[in-house]
Amino acid sequence: MELKAFQQQLFTRGKALGFTDMEVYYQAARDTVVRAFQGEVDSYTITEKAGLSFRGVWQGKMGTAFTEQIEEQAIDDLLRQAKENAEILENVDPEELFAGSPSYREVNQHSERLLHLSSEQLIETAIRLERVALQADPRIDLVNYCQVARSEGETFISNTKGLDCHHKSARLLGYVSAVAKEAEQVSSGMEFGMTFVDLDALNAEEVARQAASEALAKLNGDTIESDDYPVILRNHAAASLLKAFTSIFSGEAAEKGLSLLQDRIGEQVVGANITILDDPLLPEGPGSMPFDAEGVATAQRSLIQDGQLLTFLHNNKTAKKAGVATTGNAVKASYRAAATIAPHNLIIAPGEQSLDELIAGTERGLLLVEFQGIHAGTNSVSGDFSLSCLGYLIEQGKVVRPVNQITASGNILDLLKQVDALGDDLRFNGFGSGACGSPSLKVKSLSISGK
Amino acid sequence: MLSQKLTEDVLTAALDTGGDFADLFMEDKTVSTIKMIGGAVDRANSGRDYGVGLRILDGMFAVYAYTNDLSRDNLLQVARQAAQAIRGTKRDLTLDLRKSVLTPRHLIRVLPQDVTKARKVEWMRRAHEAAKGYDPQISQTEVLFSDEDQNVLIANSDGLFVEDRRVRTRMSITAVATKGSEKQSGFYGPGAHRGLEFYDNLDIEWYAREAARTAVTMVNADYAPSGKMPVIIDNEFGGVIFHEACGHGLEATSVAKKASVFTDKVGELVASPLVTAIDDGTIPNAWGSLNIDDEGTPTQRNVLIENGVLKSYLIDKLGGRKMGMASTGSSRRESYKFAPTSRMNNTYIAAGDSMPEEIIADTEYALYCKYLGGGSVNTATGEFNFAVREGYLVRNGKIEQPVRGATLIGKGIDVLQKIDRVGNNLGFGQGMCGSISGSIPADVGQPMIRVSELTVGGRKGAK
Repeated sequence: MELKAFQQQLFTRGKALGFTDMEVYYQAARDTVVRAFQGEVDSYTITEKAGLSFRGVWQGKMGTAFTEQIEEQAIDDLLRQAKENAEILENVDPEELFAGSPSYREVNQHSERLLHLSSEQLIETAIRLERVALQADPRIDLVNYCQVARSEGETFISNTKGLDCHHKSARLLGYVSAVAKEAEQVSSGMEFGMTFVDLDALNAEEVARQAASEALAKLNGDTIESDDYPVILRNHAAASLLKAFTSIFSGEAAEKGLSLLQDRIGEQVVGANITILDDPLLPEGPGSMPFDAEGVATAQRSLIQDGQLLTFLHNNKTAKKAGVATTGNAVKASYRAAATIAPHNLIIAPGEQSLDELIAGTERGLLLVEFQGIHAGTNSVSGDFSLSCLGYLIEQGKVVRPVNQITASGNILDLLKQVDALGDDLRFNGFGSGACGSPSLKVKSLSISGK
Repeated sequence: MLSQKLTEDVLTAALDTGGDFADLFMEDKTVSTIKMIGGAVDRANSGRDYGVGLRILDGMFAVYAYTNDLSRDNLLQVARQAAQAIRGTKRDLTLDLRKSVLTPRHLIRVLPQDVTKARKVEWMRRAHEAAKGYDPQISQTEVLFSDEDQNVLIANSDGLFVEDRRVRTRMSITAVATKGSEKQSGFYGPGAHRGLEFYDNLDIEWYAREAARTAVTMVNADYAPSGKMPVIIDNEFGGVIFHEACGHGLEATSVAKKASVFTDKVGELVASPLVTAIDDGTIPNAWGSLNIDDEGTPTQRNVLIENGVLKSYLIDKLGGRKMGMASTGSSRRESYKFAPTSRMNNTYIAAGDSMPEEIIADTEYALYCKYLGGGSVNTATGEFNFAVREGYLVRNGKIEQPVRGATLIGKGIDVLQKIDRVGNNLGFGQGMCGSISGSIPADVGQPMIRVSELTVGGRKGAK
């Protein structure tokens, strides 16, 4: 059934059922994914999906439900579920639909050149990615995962108050995981690239070579003595750690007593050299969006400026409770998911030194390049982390050997109070909304557990 | 669900360019979640997943396509479009779908749709009240209730045409304890492949108090020590150690590519002779059980390791082709949006002979992990990690003070070989397992085990 006709029917029947204001959030995606293995296409996936989430105000409470069946027969069931979901809500702060922002900035992430890539070009790229990684060095034994994916997405929000938002994007991703072997030693390295522009901008061969060199550099690693070490968190690793703790910035978590930053607005919460901002309008940002899941126009905003906590991230509901304006951070991972609060592109503002300079300035310490089991080893409520990691030992300003089978533990706020220097190498971790970016961070001391 | 005729036409169109096998997975799933924070229902969402996934195999090459437009024209178009990726000549295959009827092994009595949401909220409120009332230090609770009713149709060009219904429910309880500016949380999440009669005999209050007890114990605990030491891991969710350290490495996904440390090791001693490990998708009503896997193969009980010797892998149809082995009924996917692949169902280390009290009494110094949290593994190197949710130090045969913030790390085969005690108190815990074919429900399990040496990442220096 055509979307506009579906929406019209839905709103008409919804009104008859007692819903006052109503909204549809529609999302469609078309993906082509090619995986290569041993010079051949291992799998080829084409997908088309679309789904719709409905929300409506029923007796002052907001009911939500979703469907992937956009057909007339799905309408009654969708409305019945939304009404049932509204009925049981007990957290009865009145919620309203949003009529729209005065204006929206443009985020251009829809390149025709990406849409016109043929399946042959995608296949050739995947096979080339694998080949370049394998040929990088005789010790590269295997490329255990090699994928090229083109994704097209469309988001549309429309409601009875007049909101009408629409956004399209297309991106190309390349991902390689290489395995290196030498004698009985095995290591793996992964790298990915993403672009909104065209195939050349993916730098496929560089991605493949980087995955291979990551794997090779980790060969023959060993553990080290347990102790407190000065540590450099390489950009990608630092960003992954930040991502694990984004909920500390959520206005909802703060209100519910689940954020360690609650009641600390205006306070110096981390070091004065730290500025953390959310920038939803970055042209190449993985999570860039002109509007949030409620249709509110997004804007760049500092959460922490020179170490001082300025604001939480809000949607309309939490902003109202906190007595401030929404920051446009209502986010839906998909039409299936309930809206939560999350950053679009959360960034630690970079400094001025290159990674090499950070290393050269370290007498003895560790360069940590990868955290493992991020979801398991971090406690977003307490800020504590204890994570398995991989990296290198630095002695007299030089990387001397790979280190593995160690864990790094600490607390995210303590860590951000102890940053000595920030790199100039801002990099994002992740592909979609809620992405986090960080430069490399040099930290005074972190507790490392080894032997 | 799709008719037999339309299914046959779609599979025929899929094989038009020379594929030698095609299968179709249709799903119509109703899901509902309710979230209660601090005793008040904060969020309720429900909806319907509805779509078809279509796969074509040509030797080792797989094409996968899915859509949620289930009109005849669109399904045939998707089949033809997917077939374009195969450039062969049509084989002489005759399609003859034979409808088979399953005898359900996992009895479902009360369907989610037959219970009012108000009743579900009552169960949740019991959890909140028990957790909140446990101790004044409990500052917040979060209870998540979910149920799903998944109807699937699985058909393939070998003639299979079968429908199945999977009903699951879970209640996840998180309790947060606060002391000054410090917060710690505890968690318990019982669930089953069962109807809502699951809650009739579930001691909700016990699970909620246990989550609260962990939170309060941990907020009053000191940080764990660091370094290599003996580790005792208790039963139930402790089995995540086997799931991560070994289970993922036994999946055809990595074994077929020779990317697993367990490749070509069947018949070899890979673990301590005390270890027998099993993946069993047939356990009645267990969280990770299924009548048939997502390729339509009946699930089975697979002995993976017997007395330390590697016996079997976890194999799906495509993995089986690559390895020259038969499917073990282990093919799973989150939804029609994922091509199926080899995964775990309910994976556990079988019970041994030791009494848990004896294991503790026999230990001079160790970290005792009462509950573990989640973890992950790199199957290429075997390196795994997981979090300790509730830990204690054992000294001179006695469990002493609680410690928090510990992570365990190690390598798969190494840890299996260092298991030097296996208890007799086998128990299971429920989890969500994430991998290449999405997030799926899986049980982990084990009795208490002791590992002679593991690296513990804590925040305090060595013991």
